[in-house]
Amino acid sequence: MIINPVGTASLSKREILRFLSVASQTIFPPIVTSMLFMYIFGVALGQRIDFSRMGMTYLQFIVPGIMTMHLISSSYENTSSSLFIARWHNHIQEVLLAPLSYFEMVLGLLAGGVARGFLVVCGVFLAATIFVPVAIPHPVVLLYFILSISVIFACAGMIGALWAEDFSMLNLWHVYLIVPLIFMGGVFHPIEILPRSIQIISVFNPMYYLVNGMRYSMTGMTEVPLAQCVVFSFFMALLFFFVTVYLFKIGYKLRT
Amino acid sequence: MRNSEIAIALSKVTKFYQKFQALDNVSFEVKRGDFFAFLGPNGAGKTTTINCLTGLSNHQSGEIQVFGYDTTREYIHSRRLIGLCSQEFNFDPFLTLHQLLVYQAGYFGILPWEAARRADRLLERFQLTEKRNCKHRALSSGMKKRLLLCRALIHDPEILILDEPTSGCDLELKFLTWDYLTQLNKEGKTIFLTTHYMEEAEKLCKTIGIINHGRIVRIGDKKSVLQDKSLEAVFLEVTGPE
Repeated sequence: MIINPVGTASLSKREILRFLSVASQTIFPPIVTSMLFMYIFGVALGQRIDFSRMGMTYLQFIVPGIMTMHLISSSYENTSSSLFIARWHNHIQEVLLAPLSYFEMVLGLLAGGVARGFLVVCGVFLAATIFVPVAIPHPVVLLYFILSISVIFACAGMIGALWAEDFSMLNLWHVYLIVPLIFMGGVFHPIEILPRSIQIISVFNPMYYLVNGMRYSMTGMTEVPLAQCVVFSFFMALLFFFVTVYLFKIGYKLRT
Repeated sequence: MRNSEIAIALSKVTKFYQKFQALDNVSFEVKRGDFFAFLGPNGAGKTTTINCLTGLSNHQSGEIQVFGYDTTREYIHSRRLIGLCSQEFNFDPFLTLHQLLVYQAGYFGILPWEAARRADRLLERFQLTEKRNCKHRALSSGMKKRLLLCRALIHDPEILILDEPTSGCDLELKFLTWDYLTQLNKEGKTIFLTTHYMEEAEKLCKTIGIINHGRIVRIGDKKSVLQDKSLEAVFLEVTGPE
């Protein structure tokens, strides 16, 4: 429950303005990278890949996946770097001394990750329109997945930032776990074209459900039932959010 | 405020850092409007006490209350009443002085226009107006000390906790700080001060507490603690080698 709305809004504002003030490092790089992905995999190589049986071009297939990939990275990087730097410089004390509940603290920090993820997704979507006609037949579903995915990974970023002892540890989860899972979660290919054994493993990849949910909202196509993707992302978001609130409550690496 | 007479009450507070016992059954009270000096050698438990009081450290047992609010269970109420001027310069490096104070006020529920007004007033009071739009890295250490005070006072707290506020300050700043603290205390603010400067404590404070090895070894009003001796003599007597 929010009992200090001004305090929560102040923290949210600080987190949002923090990444907006360095938009050239936080917003534009993923948009540029996604354009390169679309050019190479979509325009250059994609012309030779036949996706007509799915009722779309290869580029149309990968756009939702690329959006998901950058949504995850941006949300994660925003909260992880912000919270870790606050711990590093110890100005996290400004927040810890304030009359904010732990729920409000997490909500305030989360706002930056969600807002950055949302802006990056919008940018990638606009960039995609340069290369291919893209539509949003299910805008509510798209908004739901943008919100739930950004909450999951913004919270994961905070957990990572609390756990990390130095800058090298900060990127460990992102580089060695999240990015490989994203790439193997069906961003660039449908799982059905993989060997049977890898298909079975892919079912246990959480990114598979998130990418499919996003893809459904933009193409109407999904490899798993939409309800499964919705329920999965909802419970993941809840789980990550409350784990983060709990870590703040016990003061994990925040209080001595 | 639930208890308007006792500003700070610690009851049998114990704190361990792994196996090291930093606080051992610490109990004392600070009355509303008091100017309390909390003294002790390095590592005696002064900052740990402050951290437990403000919620920056978890204590293992005992109770801490701020104007009757338990700092663990009712931390939102207790934190509203405290302003902390810490020892280290822990400012957000990306914010200007004015932004820093406005955000800090915001966390305490103060609306932006009022926060901006208070920030300007405090910057002027502590002669930092010229640096209003600078980041804290551009300040001298004396200026940073003053900024710490501004940040602690931005939400107009009932209790001001100062962890060695004049260490490393030149004489002018030391006297400016002393004057300001005396004035704040006269206005009714409760002040909890830790310092290594005996003359500072002797000059400013009404009540003195001395901690050593995590235990309170002497506490009382200035007259009863000193008993016609100098504070330095009393301090050495109670903290010296046993």
